[in-house]
Amino acid sequence: MSTITKPQHAAHQPEGAPPSAPGGTQPAWLIVTLREVMVKTKDRGFAISTLVTLVLIVAGVVFNAYMDNRGEDFSVAVISDAGRSVVALADEEGRADDGNTAFEAVVVGSDDAALDEVRGGDVDAALLQNEDGLWTLTGKEEVSPGLSGGLGAALESFALSTNAAATGSSPQELLAGSELEQSLLEGSTENQAVASVAGFAFGFLFYMAAIIFGLQIANSVVEEKQNRVVEILATAIPIRQLLYGKVLGNTILAMVQLAMYGGAALLALNLTGTSDLVGGIIPASGWFLVFFLFGFLILAAMWAVLGSLASRPEDLNNSSAPVLALILAALGAGLFATGQLLVVASYVPVVSSVAMPIRMLNTEVALWEPILSLVIALAAAAALIHLGEKIYRRAVMQPGALSLRKAMKLEQ
Amino acid sequence: MLHVQNLTRRFGEHTAVDDVTFSVPSAKMTGFVGANGAGKTTTMRMIMGVLTAHAGEVLLDGRTVTADDRATFGYMPEERGLYPKQPIIDQLVYLGQLHRMSQGDARSRAQELLERFQLGDRRKDKLESLSLGNQQRVQIAASLLHRPSVLILDEPFSGLDPVAVDSMVELLREHTAQGVPVLFSSHQLDLVDRLCDNLVILQKGRLVTSGSGDELRAAAPRRHRLTVSPDAGWVREEAGVTVIDVAGQDAVVELDNDDAAQRLLTAAMARGRVHEFSRIRPTLSEIYRGVSQ
Repeated sequence: MSTITKPQHAAHQPEGAPPSAPGGTQPAWLIVTLREVMVKTKDRGFAISTLVTLVLIVAGVVFNAYMDNRGEDFSVAVISDAGRSVVALADEEGRADDGNTAFEAVVVGSDDAALDEVRGGDVDAALLQNEDGLWTLTGKEEVSPGLSGGLGAALESFALSTNAAATGSSPQELLAGSELEQSLLEGSTENQAVASVAGFAFGFLFYMAAIIFGLQIANSVVEEKQNRVVEILATAIPIRQLLYGKVLGNTILAMVQLAMYGGAALLALNLTGTSDLVGGIIPASGWFLVFFLFGFLILAAMWAVLGSLASRPEDLNNSSAPVLALILAALGAGLFATGQLLVVASYVPVVSSVAMPIRMLNTEVALWEPILSLVIALAAAAALIHLGEKIYRRAVMQPGALSLRKAMKLEQ
Repeated sequence: MLHVQNLTRRFGEHTAVDDVTFSVPSAKMTGFVGANGAGKTTTMRMIMGVLTAHAGEVLLDGRTVTADDRATFGYMPEERGLYPKQPIIDQLVYLGQLHRMSQGDARSRAQELLERFQLGDRRKDKLESLSLGNQQRVQIAASLLHRPSVLILDEPFSGLDPVAVDSMVELLREHTAQGVPVLFSSHQLDLVDRLCDNLVILQKGRLVTSGSGDELRAAAPRRHRLTVSPDAGWVREEAGVTVIDVAGQDAVVELDNDDAAQRLLTAAMARGRVHEFSRIRPTLSEIYRGVSQ
């Protein structure tokens, strides 16, 4: 057997070809990250679904604003002067309140004539008073809440002034001392409303992104395993770097998409003028992004492990239950948790991604609390990525589906 | 030179590769043969570091190979693997970058290889839209992309048509000409005969033999063909002669040594006319068949 001098890697470049840049290339994890992002952004389905979601968000905000501002015109059949006064009062109040609810009285001759008007659809309802002085509002199939509410309030003030005048008093005198101011020791009533809306939004966004991008990670891992590309990749770079690149790439995609959705919603709220409360949401949204990042890193490691254990994408349907449960818990915390439960939830990794920003909206939270919660989430993320890497490294080279326990016992 | 030293790998109770030692010399093509389950793929995976060896090591020019060394190796796994839904050029550039090429270099090199395989105009097609033979060519391009310092190819010719085999052979010869050691496994013994300077034969996880063609032929039994008239039947009685086959005037015999050859020739000339007396040069596939019976 003949021995020939060592082939220098650079010594047998085909002539004319530029030598590969030594040391000038990017680190492996960065190449993987960039590929994950490129492949996904070039994917037409992803672009379309992102665009559709953006349109839906903006449309939802605009629709809400339109429904809020839409004026209502009610016509009411009456037979007496008292009836006409009540409707006039309601009209006055309605126009004063939000400027666009109008009440119009249609005076007819008799109760039956009034009911005929309702039956014929010419008026929205009939406001009639019987001999005992009791008032009845009669609609055809339903009475709109705007109509009954407006007339009810008007009737109350009408009766109050009539009765006050009868006793020689005034409504102001009668109501003196009856006003109840509301206040909260922590937070404000206004924040409460914002928190419930924002809680739903945070929870839902987290849920969506964690599932969409989580499945993307798992699928991209299982694809490489199924096609055995991973065997070639493993000879070129450490498997660990492959995992880091995937997690990072998809985390970036998720964060960018989330920021786009959130930005679009806030922008639409501002433009439609329904943004009185936006000021309260923005700082919490910022925190939400940070918490989302940490929660997502944990889930990303879990999804990658699930992908490495599966043998086909279909296997993920069965194995993804635990991760889905965790994501649902985060969503549930956003929607339902209150009091002590919410405080506890705001420290549980992943769940805290939704719970802590909501707490911060609801009440005053000392700065150390979100920071502590982030530290806990970061520690959990680091531990899970470390563990995930061990399982991933073993399982991904193994053909076929594996259980977690079996994967832990594997050697490389 | 790539050297495999006492490599051993077990799967549970089963020892897939048992204390295997052989060399893959630089600038040579080494054929890696053995029945299914002989341990070829497991050995190649250990060389590539995809599987951990339970004992032994892989040496490159006398020192243990590192992950950095392996990143310069070209590898074609038994189970082909690329991204079916990705454009060909994109995945080749990606693999090139992972092998530490710059993006521009990876792209021009991928283009060059695809053109050699007549796939230049399909570079933007998805891999899955190609025929299986063409997918195989892309797989080969992936293993050669980064101008590997060592080539480890598991069944590189399976699934290729004769034209593709020829262009693959040409490519491999270019690499050996530049000093690259090439180890490839194959069940196509005619190809092994045609291409190999060296042979490594495995059987049930153990090394049967390895070495250059000349070394293996020298070690093989010395067979001669004898054609005489009127009849060759008498060779059965000669001492030091093992008859492999006798038919009419022709005989194929195995001789213990050169003396036996001289005696046989003298006897033949005494009995009649000698038309042919020649040493049979065994092909590598015959050697393989001989040792793996």
